[in-house]
Amino acid sequence: MIVLADAINRIHDRGSRAVGCFPLYPPVELVHSFGMVPLVLWDMKEAAPSLDESDRHLQAFACSVARRLAEFILSKDGARLDGILMYNACDTLRNMPEILQSGLSEKGRRLPILRMHVPMIPADRTDARDYLAARVVELVCGMEEAFGVRFSAGKFRESVRVYNEMRGLARRLESLAAEGRMSYREFSRIIRTGHFSPVEDQVSELSAAVKQAEASPADPNKRRIIVTGILSPPDDLIDAIEGAGMRVAGNDIASQARSYGHETAETGDPAEFYTGAYRIRRACTTLLYTADRRIGELCALVGERDARGVLFVGEKFCEYEYMELPYLRKILDGKKIAHMEIEIAAGDQGGAASLRTRVEAFAELLDQ
Amino acid sequence: MPAEIFSGFENVVFAVPESHAALSAAKGVGMLQCEKAEAAGYSMDICSYARIDLGTAMSGGRDSPTFGLPRPHLLVSNNNNCSLLAKWFDVYHREWGVPHFVIDVPFCYEGQKDRDREYIVAQYRDLIRTVEHLSGQTFDLDRVREALLTTREATRHYKRFIDCAASRPSGITAFDSFVQMAPLLTSRGRPGIDRHFELLAEETEERMRSGLFPVPRERYRLFWDSIAPWHQLRKMSTRLAGLDANIIAASYTSCVGSHEGSYEFLQSFDGGDPLEALARAQNFSVCPYGLNLRVNAMTRAARHYGIDGFVFASNRSCKVYSIMQMDCMRTVSQNPGMPAVMIDVDHADVRKYSEEGAFTRIEALLERIDAVRRRAG
Repeated sequence: MIVLADAINRIHDRGSRAVGCFPLYPPVELVHSFGMVPLVLWDMKEAAPSLDESDRHLQAFACSVARRLAEFILSKDGARLDGILMYNACDTLRNMPEILQSGLSEKGRRLPILRMHVPMIPADRTDARDYLAARVVELVCGMEEAFGVRFSAGKFRESVRVYNEMRGLARRLESLAAEGRMSYREFSRIIRTGHFSPVEDQVSELSAAVKQAEASPADPNKRRIIVTGILSPPDDLIDAIEGAGMRVAGNDIASQARSYGHETAETGDPAEFYTGAYRIRRACTTLLYTADRRIGELCALVGERDARGVLFVGEKFCEYEYMELPYLRKILDGKKIAHMEIEIAAGDQGGAASLRTRVEAFAELLDQ
Repeated sequence: MPAEIFSGFENVVFAVPESHAALSAAKGVGMLQCEKAEAAGYSMDICSYARIDLGTAMSGGRDSPTFGLPRPHLLVSNNNNCSLLAKWFDVYHREWGVPHFVIDVPFCYEGQKDRDREYIVAQYRDLIRTVEHLSGQTFDLDRVREALLTTREATRHYKRFIDCAASRPSGITAFDSFVQMAPLLTSRGRPGIDRHFELLAEETEERMRSGLFPVPRERYRLFWDSIAPWHQLRKMSTRLAGLDANIIAASYTSCVGSHEGSYEFLQSFDGGDPLEALARAQNFSVCPYGLNLRVNAMTRAARHYGIDGFVFASNRSCKVYSIMQMDCMRTVSQNPGMPAVMIDVDHADVRKYSEEGAFTRIEALLERIDAVRRRAG
C-alpha cells in the first residue's frame, strides 16, 4: 500500500522539497538536480482512491490518470506538495494547470505550476531541437525563480547519472522477471513505488531486488506474454495472468518500460540532454513523432522475449492508445501473435472473477 | 489549418475530413459511419468525427453525402485543436502509405509568444518544402498574400454576419453560423469566398431591416459553448424557438477571425509577412488556449451580445473543448453573474445525446433566467 502523503512527509523530513510532476515523461533529472524530489503522479489508484474533488472539475470521460492527478493535488495530502511541473503530454493534461489553479484557489491554496512544451514533431525538422532547447532553458530559469535555487551543471550531470543507473536497474529487473526469477506483480510494485520515491531510494530498492532475483532460479515453463498500455496492469489482473500460467516477459507500458527504456549520455547541459532524450526515447502513443516506430518496437520486443501473445491494457478514454489499437491488432494478426484487450477505467469495482475468466481464455488461446 | 499556404501553389487542393464528418452528421449518416468504424475495432469513446471519417474511408465513401473524400498525396494535421487529429491521420498514413506532416502548435495559457510563433513559421516553411518536393511545383508567397487578403475580407463580412446577433431580437441564430463554418474552413483564401460572406451579411442585415428575425418573440438570449450539435441543428433550434429562446452566439463560431482569448476581428492581415500572419492566427479556435483566456473571451461576448445565460455542451467526443468547462462555467456564472447550465452532447454521434435530458436542463436554465429578472425587478 503506497501512502503518498507519507512519502512527501519523509521527503520534507529530509529537508527536501517534493515536486508533483504530471505524467508521462517529465524532466525528472532537472528537478532532482535542484535538490528536490520529483514525484510522477500516476498509477495513483491507492494514493487517490476516491474522486470527489476531481468530480467537481473534470467530467467522468476524462481518463483515470487525469482524474486521480486532480484528486490528489486538490486533496489535503496534495497540499503537502511544494510545486507542480507539467508538459504537453496529452490533450487532457494540457488543459489541467489552470483547472488545478482554479481548484487550489477555491481552497485558498497556491502552488507554483511550471509548464513546458515538448515538440511533437521529428527532431530533424527545422527548429525542433532549438525550440526544445529554448524551452528547457526557460524551465531552468522558471525553477530558479519559483524555488529560489540556482542551477548547477555538476549537480545536473550527477542527477543524469543516478537516473541512468535507476533506469538500467529497472531494465535489468524487467529481464529477470521475464525469466521468472521474480513475479511481475512484485516488479510492478517496485516500479510503482518508485514514482513516489527519491531516485536514490529507487536505486537501493531496485539493487536489492536485482540481487535477490539473480539468486532465484529461472522458471522457463510458462507461456510468455507482453503487456502494453499506459498504466501498469492492476494487481488483480496480474494475479489472473500469473494464475493462468502465463508470465509477463516484457512490457510496453508507459509508466514502466516506456519510462525507463532509454539511456541518455551524461552531460551537465540540460538542453543538450533533453534534446538527446527527445530523439532516442522509447516510442509512445502520446509522443506523436514516434508514431512510425512504436508498433515496430513492440513487435521487436515480442520477438526478443519469445512471447506468444500481447495483452493490451486499455486506459479508458485514452484516444492516443485506442486510435492505434486496430492497427496493432492487424499487425499482430499478420504475425500470428495472439492478443487480447482489457479495458481499465477509474470507476472499476472489482470484477476479478470475470477478469480471470477472460485471462484464462487468453491463456488457452496461446496454446492453440 | 493554415489552408492559405496551399494557395501558394499552382495546383494543390485540399479536403477537410472534419468538415466532411460534420456534414455527414448533419445529413443524418453520422451514426451509420461511426458504426462502420466501431465494427473495425475503433472504440466508441473516440471522437465521432474521426469515427465518421474512418467509417467513410473504410467503406469507400458509401453512404457519404459527397461519396467520401479523395485519397490524398499528403496528409497534413496539426495538434492545436487536438492531437487526436494527428493520430487519426496516422491511420491513413499507415493504411495508404501516404506521408503525414504534423504541425506542432504550442498551447496558449497567455497570449501567443513570439518564440512560439517563430517555431510555427519554421514548420510552415518545412511544409512548403514538403509540398514543393511532392508536387514539383514552386511555391509563390505572393499568392498566399493574395489568398490572405481574400480571407481577411471573407472574415470581415463573416464577422458582420455574426454581429447581427447583437441586435434585439437577434438577426441570426448560432445554428445559422454553424452551417457557415463549412465555407470558412473548406474555401479559405479561394476566390469568391469573400463575396459569399459579403452577400450573407448583406442579406441578413436586409432581413433585419425588413423586420425578419429567426425568433421574433425572443425572450432568452443564450450563448453556446461547444462544437455544433450537427445532428440536432433543426430540431434544437426549432424547439428553442418554441420556448422563445435563441442561442444567438457560440464560442465555436465567434472565435473565427480572432486571436486566442478574444472573439473580436483581429486577423486583419495588412499585407505583411503572410506566414507570420498565419502563425499568429494559429491558436484562435478555443481549444488551443486556456481557461483564463476562454473566460475572458466569453465574458466580453456576454456583454457585447446581451446574453441572458450560457449553455455549456459537455461533449464526450471533444475532450479538449470540454475538459475545462466545469471551471469555466463556475467562473462565468459568478462573473458576469448569469445563469449557466451544462448539457451532455456528442457533436456528431446522435446515440450519445438525449433530447429530453438536454431540454430538461435548458428549460431549467430559462426558469432561472426568469428568476433573475424577477429579482432585478
